[in-house]
Parts: sequence; structure tokens; C-alpha cells
Amino acid sequence: MITFDNVTKVYQKDWVALQDISFFIDKGEFVFVNGTTGAGKSTLLKLIYKDEEPTKGTIKVLDQNLRLLKKKNLPKLRRKIGVIFQDFKLLQDRTLEENIAFALDVTDTPARDMRKQMLEILTYLRLSHKKFSFPYQLSGGEQQKVAIARALVRDPYILLADEPTGNLDEKSSQEIIDVLLDINYKGTTVLMATHNLKLIKKVKKRMLRIEDGKLAADQ
Amino acid sequence: MSLRIGIREGFRTITRNASLFLLSLLVTSIALFLLSLFAFVTVNLYHFLNILDEKIEIIAFLEENADYEALTSNILKINGVRDVIYVSSEQALKDLQAELQETEEVLSVFESNPLPASLRIKLLAKSRNARGLEEISGKVMLLRGIRETIYGGELVDQLKKITSVITSFDIGLLLIIIFSVIFVIFQTIKLTIFARATEIDIMKLVGASNSFIALPFTFEGIVQGILGGFIAFILTVVTQRVAVSFLSNIYFPQGYFFVGSLLCGIIFGIIGSSLALRKFLK
Ligand SMILES: Nc1ncnc2c1ncn2[C@@H]1O[C@H](COP(=O)(O)OP(=O)(O)O)[C@@H](O)[C@H]1O
Ligand SMILES: [Mg+2]
Repeated sequence: MITFDNVTKVYQKDWVALQDISFFIDKGEFVFVNGTTGAGKSTLLKLIYKDEEPTKGTIKVLDQNLRLLKKKNLPKLRRKIGVIFQDFKLLQDRTLEENIAFALDVTDTPARDMRKQMLEILTYLRLSHKKFSFPYQLSGGEQQKVAIARALVRDPYILLADEPTGNLDEKSSQEIIDVLLDINYKGTTVLMATHNLKLIKKVKKRMLRIEDGKLAADQ
Repeated sequence: MSLRIGIREGFRTITRNASLFLLSLLVTSIALFLLSLFAFVTVNLYHFLNILDEKIEIIAFLEENADYEALTSNILKINGVRDVIYVSSEQALKDLQAELQETEEVLSVFESNPLPASLRIKLLAKSRNARGLEEISGKVMLLRGIRETIYGGELVDQLKKITSVITSFDIGLLLIIIFSVIFVIFQTIKLTIFARATEIDIMKLVGASNSFIALPFTFEGIVQGILGGFIAFILTVVTQRVAVSFLSNIYFPQGYFFVGSLLCGIIFGIIGSSLALRKFLK
């Protein structure tokens, strides 16, 4: 599903963000990416959805070598990968429903399929009653769920979560992790980056630990 | 389908940044109005010149008792001559009276009609210049029965020179205005792209193709161009109405101006927004 082979990422001014990273993630796995702030977690996720290019090494995602992926085919890859962030990245001037539909708009999804998919995802995340609310009318946890819905509405193979609980209290955080686990249970490969060890201690899942840009542990 | 969404998003873009849109619409309209105004002046200038050009002719005065029919057919054989009209001496007198709006009193000082008969020689377009006039007039002079020829050769060339100067001035101005309209639309789309950076990021994240992302902005550019063109057209019509009250004989092909304004607006809109998109939508 995802393969990193001796991947190094150097930002401009010789700043090494990731160094010689190698790992393999199988279909249906749930993996935490852990490390302190600045360790390189976000960089690692960005490399997977090709928001950044590796300086060295090979990355394969969904059987595609990202280096060989043509620019015009990038949108097609992105449609198979859902991404959520700490700051939700919702559009403030659109309702919850419009925010989710946004992800379906970009492809020619027929109206009928769209309605069905929307209904499914809203029911699954128990957001139906708020679908006409705007992001600022929702709690942090609910906003993150909307972001998850937007990432999920197109049935991605992979879900990447970059500090999804960073802005949430403990209870909401737990709820989000439970949702991610359930999504994974249904077959989606999930990668969640977090600096918060305490939060994920109880969850028995694989963890890639990154320290100063190097892969320190894979357990 | 995605066109529908593109248009919907385009409208959203415009309404979200309404003040920016209106401001640049104002500038676009003024620039297109200037363009239209110059087209208006130029078209009228050419129209006027055409009328003058049509009037360029050689007048050949005949000797008394000349055989005007034979002369006419001979002159018609000269290369560059389009038409020959005979004006009898009586006709010339009547024309003069009509022109002077005088009664016969003034002219009755003459005992007999002092005006000679003449042939008015109309020329083909290619000969309506100083050289053509001189050549043809020279040939006409050689014919028996011609007393004298007159034509306004220098004046004609002067007029043509002025026309070409004005034309090149027009083209220069045209380029400046086209450039500024495109520039204004370019700037507007640039600012809207910046204002919608989050939206664009999310679109890319969820897998929107570049052309899909570009659609709303192109749409905005086109709308701005069309509206600007339309406003410019209305302003030109108003100007024309005012001009008519001062000058008679104003030439204004309204249909061409309408289509031209909108078309210019659309084309500049597309060019301006595509340039901005190419530059800022990485
Ligand atoms: N676009 C960038 N340009 C330069 N340096 C960057 C950029 N993005 C991240 N970095 C640097 O790379 C390192 C890793 O960043 P990041 O992957 O965001 O860490 P984390 O997500 O683990 O906090 C940090 O030192 C950060 O400052
Ligand atoms: Mg980070």
C-alpha cells in the first residue's frame, strides 16, 4: 500500500527534515506516526500525498512510484487518499453539507450517487441534524468529523490524519480516534500522526516513531 | 456538470469579493469605453474620408461645340476611369444658382451663359491619388475638344497622409488600451486567487484537476469582460447620442459596436484570467 525506500527530505537551506526512512505499510493497517513537534511527521504524510517531493529515495503509494506519477495524474491519486488536519481546513462560508459535497464536486459525481453518499456519511458520523450548520456553529470535535466526512465521502483507500486531535479536548480526541479505528476496521488504511503519546498508549497499534527526522522505532 | 459547478463557484467568487470585482469592473469598463470611443472616432474618420474619396474627380471643361459623346467614350477607355458624366452649360448654371441660392439677378449681369459645358470624370479607387489624377488628366488633355482640366491632387495626398498618421496613432493607442484591460483583469484574478487560497488548497487536496480549479476564475474573468464590454457599449451609445446633437452625419454601426465590445471583453477576460492562473495557480 505504502512503501518508503531510503527516503530523505531536505528543505531549502540544507534543512534535513527526514533522513533515510524505510518502511512498508500493508493494506488495512492502522499506523501511528509519533514524534515531538518538528520531528518530521507532517513531512512524512505530505510525501505520501505528494504535497512534497522526496530529495532522495523512492516512495510507492497504491502501487505507483510517486516520482514517476505525471502531474496531470496527481488529482486521480488524491481522490484515493483522504487527508485531515489539526485545523480542520473547512470552508467557513459553507454549510457542513456543502463542505462535504465539495469533495464530490471536483469529479463528475452524478447527483443521485452524490445524495446517497452524503446520506451515508452523514448518518455514519451522526451529523445529519447539523447539515445546514456552518463550521463556526460546531464544536471542534464536530468540525473534525466534518473534515473526516469530506475525506471519507469518496471511499478512499488511505486516510491520512495529521494531528487530528491537536485542537480537541480529551473526550473529543478519544471520539475521533474511535472513529478512525472504526474506519480502519471497515478496511481503510489509516495513518495518524500525533505527538501525544498518552492519547495513543491504550490503543494497541503499530507505531512509527520519528526522532529528529530519523525512524527511531517501528513497533 | 462540472461546468455548472464552475459557474456556481464563479458566482460565489464574485459575490465573496464583490467590492474588488466592482472596482475592477469599473476600470475595465472605462478602458473598454476608451477603446470603443477610439473605434467610434476612427470609424467616422474613415467614413468621412471615404465620402471625400468618392468625390475625387477630374473636371474637364469642353470647348464650344465639342462632341461630348465621342469624348465620353474615349475617356471611358482610359485606364482608371470609372465613369464620365456630362454636364451641359445650362446644367452648370442651374447647379451654380442652386448652390448660391440666388435668384437670377446676380447671374443676369452676364448676357449669355458664361459657364462652359464639362465632363465630370469619376475614377477607380486605385487612381484616386495625386499621381493617378495627373496621369489621367494628362491623357484627357490630349483629346481634341478639351479646353482645360481641374482636380485637387495635392489635397488628396494630404488627406491620405493625415489618415495614415491617425491610423498608426490609433493602433498604438489600441495596443495600450488592450494591454491595460488585460492587466486589470489579470490583477483582479490574481487577488481573487489569493483571497481563495484556502479553497484552492482544499480543492487540490480532494483531487480537483487544475482545469476544474481554474474554471471559476476564468468564468469571473469572462463575466468581468462581458459586463465591462456592455457598460462600455452603453456609454458609447450615450456619447453618440450627444455627438449627433452637435454634428450631423455621424456614422455609428450599432450592431458591430455591440458585438465588438462584448467580444473584446470576452477575449481580454479570457486572456487576463488565463495569464493570472498560469502564474499563480501552481
Ligand atoms: N516547507 C518547509 N520549508 C522548510 N522547512 C520545513 C518546511 N516544512 C517543515 N519544515 C521543517 O522540517 C522539520 C519537520 O517539520 P514537520 O514535518 O512539520 O514536523 P512535525 O509535523 O513532526 O511537527 C521542522 O524542523 C520544520 O521546521
Ligand atoms: Mg506537524
